[in-house]
Amino acid sequence: MQLGAIDYSIIAIYFLFVVSIGFLLKRKVKTGNDFLMSNRSIPLWITSLAFISANLGAQEVLGMAASGAKYGLYTTHFYWLGAAFAMIFLGIYMMPFYYGSKARSVPEYLKLRFDEKTRTFNAITFAIMTVFSSGISLYALAMLMQTILGWDFNVSIWLAASIVLVYTYMGGLTSAVYNEVLQFFLIVLGIAPLVYLGMHQAGGWSGIVHNVENAKLHLWKGMGSASTNPMGVDGFSLVFGLGFVLAFGYWCTDFLVVQRAMISRSLNEARRTPIIAAVPKIFMPIIVIMPGIILLALQKTNTGFDLPTNVNGQVDYNMALPTLLQKLYPSGILGVGITALIASFMSGMAGNVTAFNTVWTFDIYQSHIKRNASEQHYLNVGKATTIVGILISVATAYVARQFNSIMDLLQLVFSFVNAPLFATFFLGMFWKRTSANGAFWGLLSGTGAAAITHGLTVAEGKGGWIANVHEFYSGTSQAFNIAGIAFIVCFIVTALVSMGSKPRPDSELFGLVYSLTPKQTDRAKRWYKNPLWLGVAVLIVTVILNIIFY
Amino acid sequence: MNKLLDLRFVIGLFFTVVGLMLLVFSLTSATVHSPVNTWSGIVFTIFGVLMIILSFQKDANDELLDENPNRNTGH
Repeated sequence: MQLGAIDYSIIAIYFLFVVSIGFLLKRKVKTGNDFLMSNRSIPLWITSLAFISANLGAQEVLGMAASGAKYGLYTTHFYWLGAAFAMIFLGIYMMPFYYGSKARSVPEYLKLRFDEKTRTFNAITFAIMTVFSSGISLYALAMLMQTILGWDFNVSIWLAASIVLVYTYMGGLTSAVYNEVLQFFLIVLGIAPLVYLGMHQAGGWSGIVHNVENAKLHLWKGMGSASTNPMGVDGFSLVFGLGFVLAFGYWCTDFLVVQRAMISRSLNEARRTPIIAAVPKIFMPIIVIMPGIILLALQKTNTGFDLPTNVNGQVDYNMALPTLLQKLYPSGILGVGITALIASFMSGMAGNVTAFNTVWTFDIYQSHIKRNASEQHYLNVGKATTIVGILISVATAYVARQFNSIMDLLQLVFSFVNAPLFATFFLGMFWKRTSANGAFWGLLSGTGAAAITHGLTVAEGKGGWIANVHEFYSGTSQAFNIAGIAFIVCFIVTALVSMGSKPRPDSELFGLVYSLTPKQTDRAKRWYKNPLWLGVAVLIVTVILNIIFY
Repeated sequence: MNKLLDLRFVIGLFFTVVGLMLLVFSLTSATVHSPVNTWSGIVFTIFGVLMIILSFQKDANDELLDENPNRNTGH
């Protein structure tokens, strides 16, 4: 793929804008709270778009187009089943606890609800996870630029890391959030013409229906058995594993996304943030999944749209979007498309680094190393953590280049930690009897259950490192089932240990548990200002979309 | 200076600049005329200008905010 002067100019202008945002916001950052929490002063439209953008990293943009080509419309389950319901639940039921408790982070909520050890366990695993994710994002950016544009790996790594460092160091979380919103518009407006051109060339929707195998143009058809749909997942694993455990575990407990709602100006706005974010989220498949499906149609009607193979000789679905960019975009708009990809990588990295900052500073440093220091001190720690976080990300990117399997292993271990987390939060928020020991041992046993299940099952040649007790139809099915089992084990262990240990008195749980918290009275006159009615409206639209594309 | 801290203004400025670049490029390019650059340029410029106009309407920033943001805090 050859870029022209106009394309490089657009990329340069984007770099100029993101760095300028950091410099402009620098004068607004005076305390650690400003730097790490944006002083809870961000307007609703920004928090909502940042909430969805924090999840719109490169793995999402490239990965969903790849899944679109591999699984077809079934990929939409990650949005209409695996996101919308959980986002609405977060807004209506969980935000009052996060925001109302004045916790500055998700681990801090765990400390308020349970104890220090549960918070520390969650904080350390989250901090390691985010900083490695940031590095993997950086590695993926450099590899993609090397593959499609021939850019030098080292130049891509250091250029992207330097730009992210400048704007996050200067403007902190606010700068990262502002750039996420800019990135959102860039991705939508930069890829929408690609969808239009692709649809036009494929003969519109009727051309897609004619040229793409029917099995890939449904959502629920064939879900009765793992062998009768492209995802290789049965309906129960999909609904329970993805729709409940993984979706609610990610959208309701991952601090990276929840942080965007926690910096809202009021509780009402914090509650509406994920619900409003769900609106663009349910339409996002048009931008991120459709390109993969369009590619399938174009492969039938045109030449030159075949995907390359990877080092293992398998079709490299991750090249779906870059292939379409190369074939359909002329110089000019091509620069916008490439900039959108770069933006998604950099924004994903910045989101991880800023979440790492907050958790490190508040939940590890302030909690275990130096309490009661000045605001200026925590500001300095936050800024120093930014530099350290970026440097670890760069180091991770180089490690990933040398030992790709280690990165796969790390991501696998992180998924074990994440899988049971929602059970802990769910019980903690809705059952006042849940004790600190119950939560801690529940988390540990859930994590262990996830690892053991992986060790006893095999899918696509992965897992089964203890014994091959069961073989799943696909890796996706294995992941959904591991999550489901981890959740159930965590839930049961937490409940059993809690019943056998002394609960905290009700007076200490005010504002932290549903039954001991005054119910929200949303007196907003307009329905779209009321989180409940807004959530119901989004829910109805989501259900209708599921029915239409059954 | 305050205007530059308004995200709507910054986003508007970015898309106006990129949109105009695409328009100028599509009109002056020596290679085959590409309608996608022209149309994208027009859409980007319109979107950018609209965002800039919105940024000058101060109340628009608070449009989604309740009359009293803290009214429904509950706790």
